[in-house]
Amino acid sequence: MFQLSRQTVSRHKALYVGSFVALAFGVFMLGLAATATAATIAYRGPLGAVVKVTTLGGQDTPPQRVSIRTGAEDVSGLQTVLSMVGSICGFITIFVIASTFAFAVASRRRELGLLRLIGATPQQIRRMILGEALVVAVVAALTGAFFAHLATPLLLAKASYSELAPVKLEPASPWLPLSIAMAVGLMVALLGAHAAARRAGRIAPIDALREAALEPPRIGPVRVVFGVLFLVGSIALLALIRPSSGEAAMPLAMFTPMLLVIGLTLIAPIVVPVLGRLWAAPLVAWTHVSGRLARSNIVAAPRRSASLAAPILTISAIAGSMVLSLSFAADSEAASLRDTMIAPIVVPGGSAERVAATPGVAVVDAGLPVQFVRISTDYAELESAEGIDPAVATRTRDLTPSKGDLSRLTGNTVAVSKEMAGFERYRVGSKIPVTFLDKTEVKLTVVAIVPDAFGLNPSFLVPADLARKHAPAAQPERLFVLPAAGVDAAELTGRIDGAVSARAWEAAQADGLRKGNEFGLILLLGPAALYSAIAIANTLLMGSLQRRQEFTTSRLLGATPSQLRRMVLWESALVGATALSQGAAITVTVGALVRYAMTAGLSDVPITIPWGVLLGIGGVCLTLAVGSALAPASYILRVVNRETAVHQGQ
Amino acid sequence: MTAIAPSYPSTPQASAPALVLDGITKTYRSKAGGVDALRGVTYHFPRGSFTAVMGPSGSGKSTLLQCAAGLDQPSTGAVVLGGVNLRGLGEVALTKLRREEMGFVFQAYNLLPSLTVFDNVALPLRLTGKRPNRNDVLGVLEQVGLGDKAKRRPAELSGGQQQRVAIARALITRPSVFFADEPTGALDSNSSRQVLALLREATDRAGQTVVMVTHDPVAAAYAERVLFLSDGLIAGHLDRGTPGQIAAAMSDLER
Ligand SMILES: Nc1ncnc2c1ncn2[C@@H]1O[C@H](COP(=O)(O)OP(=O)(O)O)[C@@H](O)[C@H]1O
Ligand SMILES: [Mg+2]
Repeated sequence: MFQLSRQTVSRHKALYVGSFVALAFGVFMLGLAATATAATIAYRGPLGAVVKVTTLGGQDTPPQRVSIRTGAEDVSGLQTVLSMVGSICGFITIFVIASTFAFAVASRRRELGLLRLIGATPQQIRRMILGEALVVAVVAALTGAFFAHLATPLLLAKASYSELAPVKLEPASPWLPLSIAMAVGLMVALLGAHAAARRAGRIAPIDALREAALEPPRIGPVRVVFGVLFLVGSIALLALIRPSSGEAAMPLAMFTPMLLVIGLTLIAPIVVPVLGRLWAAPLVAWTHVSGRLARSNIVAAPRRSASLAAPILTISAIAGSMVLSLSFAADSEAASLRDTMIAPIVVPGGSAERVAATPGVAVVDAGLPVQFVRISTDYAELESAEGIDPAVATRTRDLTPSKGDLSRLTGNTVAVSKEMAGFERYRVGSKIPVTFLDKTEVKLTVVAIVPDAFGLNPSFLVPADLARKHAPAAQPERLFVLPAAGVDAAELTGRIDGAVSARAWEAAQADGLRKGNEFGLILLLGPAALYSAIAIANTLLMGSLQRRQEFTTSRLLGATPSQLRRMVLWESALVGATALSQGAAITVTVGALVRYAMTAGLSDVPITIPWGVLLGIGGVCLTLAVGSALAPASYILRVVNRETAVHQGQ
Repeated sequence: MTAIAPSYPSTPQASAPALVLDGITKTYRSKAGGVDALRGVTYHFPRGSFTAVMGPSGSGKSTLLQCAAGLDQPSTGAVVLGGVNLRGLGEVALTKLRREEMGFVFQAYNLLPSLTVFDNVALPLRLTGKRPNRNDVLGVLEQVGLGDKAKRRPAELSGGQQQRVAIARALITRPSVFFADEPTGALDSNSSRQVLALLREATDRAGQTVVMVTHDPVAAAYAERVLFLSDGLIAGHLDRGTPGQIAAAMSDLER
């Protein structure tokens, strides 16, 4: 059987080169993420900037000693980004690999049927497909890991001294991270191949005799049920988890599209023909024969079409959802900033005493930034808090507590934002153990739950005295100023050095937020987009290279090369349109639900839709799809042309 | 019309038949409604016989062959091959039976294009888990007149040669029944003759049973009996007919 596998693999080179490229690149990406993560873990910063604490421990988690890195040498930002990049790439790899193998099996239907006819058992066919996949996967995983190893120093050089890791990162031992990446790659390949092999085992001997290598259109009820479960589940997830900041929306906007993609892929044999027919309607009306041919090719083989569409669907859904959700998140954050701000004047980085001495100033809210390590049952985390004078702060910003009383914010107490209280189940009266950076351990009693307000109130508010006591050097980052009765705010703004109107300050904050989001999106989606581009081109290339026989027959039947090229053009455009319309549906669903959750309680939230980016994603996907289907088709047609010319000349 | 018997024939020989069709019907379900491809066919194929099945296009010939070979399940009725009822056999048992007892030759040559002629012929043995005996394989290739082509690939052979490779592949396992669907449909008359002679030889020399679907009276004349199928039913038979007689019977049937 092994020899047979080897020989058939060489026959279907295009299919296996396709799987190889997809998997090798996937392992390369995962490997890079893993080695870079290893480098951040191996990084040892200056010793002074570490706070050692013991977690509380829970029912089944024992207390643990953990070291929390504080100060500027923090590499956790890079770690977070790397883990997210790793998950996106891992997910796309699963999808691309599963669909490439499914595609390979669908393309070999007749050949596998023939093997069954002359005596191969379903089990032999399954083992053959798995064996082939294993060979391709091992070679691909090794190749991917090798290149990841070569590329690691380059990536680390780029990442060092960046915003995310303001330190010098050195490559760590590559064995463990690369082994993990290879293991993940092999597992993904075998999972993908397993499904394909099962389907291959179900190919009947009679399939060798049927002219058209058509797949049975049936789809199991289990599959439909799971598909619907995934769709409903992810929508429920979006409806239940209510992020209040862009940072909280980011993972949601990343993972729920993945679940939706899985759901849609499971029911693809139902969805793809419907969408294909819909998009083909204008083509059929406008073109003579090519549109009709393209439609029947897409609709008659929904699994094959879904395989071709998978990478486009995956990246457009994930990228679209993240871009749109983060834009909506920024909208609602801007609105909440606007609604929470009462003071008309902001002085970024000014001296509280001098501003307070300015005539016409009634109140100066000079919150002191302070950090502490918050200790939970099974983890500890560095948190940013603000030391406030509740009597003053409640006049410059909206801090109306939903529970508790801010006037009791004195001594070892804390007010917690609603979101944080929700995550950690803090109530009024809860005690939160913290360690300030001066290493003092304190138990803070929660006295109030206050509204979330991005950029204005951090998740924790402590009395200003407490902040001053544990961070004596702290200086306020910005001052909120109320003019005295009868004093014109605009006129007062002009008289204070460096003061800006609250409106201008809010706009600048929102702007900074969008810029930050953009940077994050590029970091997260850049590698995934690159991989997807390769996967899209790879899949469609593979699809076109398989069609030599079909083109030859069509040419002999009298189809002109330009008719066939148009057919391929329409077909790939239909695949792209089918995938992109599903991607768009996912994007709209995720975006709308994230927006709905985030704008609860806010009014007049602006709507910013990043049309340019969204249309750009669609345009690039479509261009890639059409280009990589058309180029090999044109090449094959030229070859076929020569051959048929020879035949006719004889 | 005298050559065609009014009802379906009884078994000419008393020994246990190689293949029994017992009242098989086949209805294909499709969106446009059901198609009754077979409407009750009963026939016993004697051991060592060469039977041709003829009939107008769409009369159910291919369906009959596929049901007989266990490639498709008849809607009702039983198929018994070498004493084994195919209904109730699992996929694996059926595959093993096919591998050991049946040989297939179809109009499309159905060779694996990536394998050499030798490997194509040896494939059924490999699938049984045996190491193919080199001399056996070469012997069979010799038998079909392709002893010198073992290293070629199918694409480097003519249609007639490819069909002979397919026959060699069917011969290698020494099956008791050959199923052939239009084996000469795509061949010139010279190649056809060689292929038919090989099938004839299988029955004469090795006592194997051949069931061959064809629309060519010349091909059918190689068989000792021609069954005529019309509209899913056996319409009659003709024993040891000449091509002329067979053609006349066919045109009567198509009228
Ligand atoms: N897979 C199928 N699905 C539906 N109808 C079929 C199928 N195969 C054959 N038929 C129909 O069954 C009838 C008999 O077909 P077939 O056995 O192929 O005839 P023949 O080989 O004699 O030309 C025809 O009407 C044909 O259209
Ligand atoms: Mg037929």
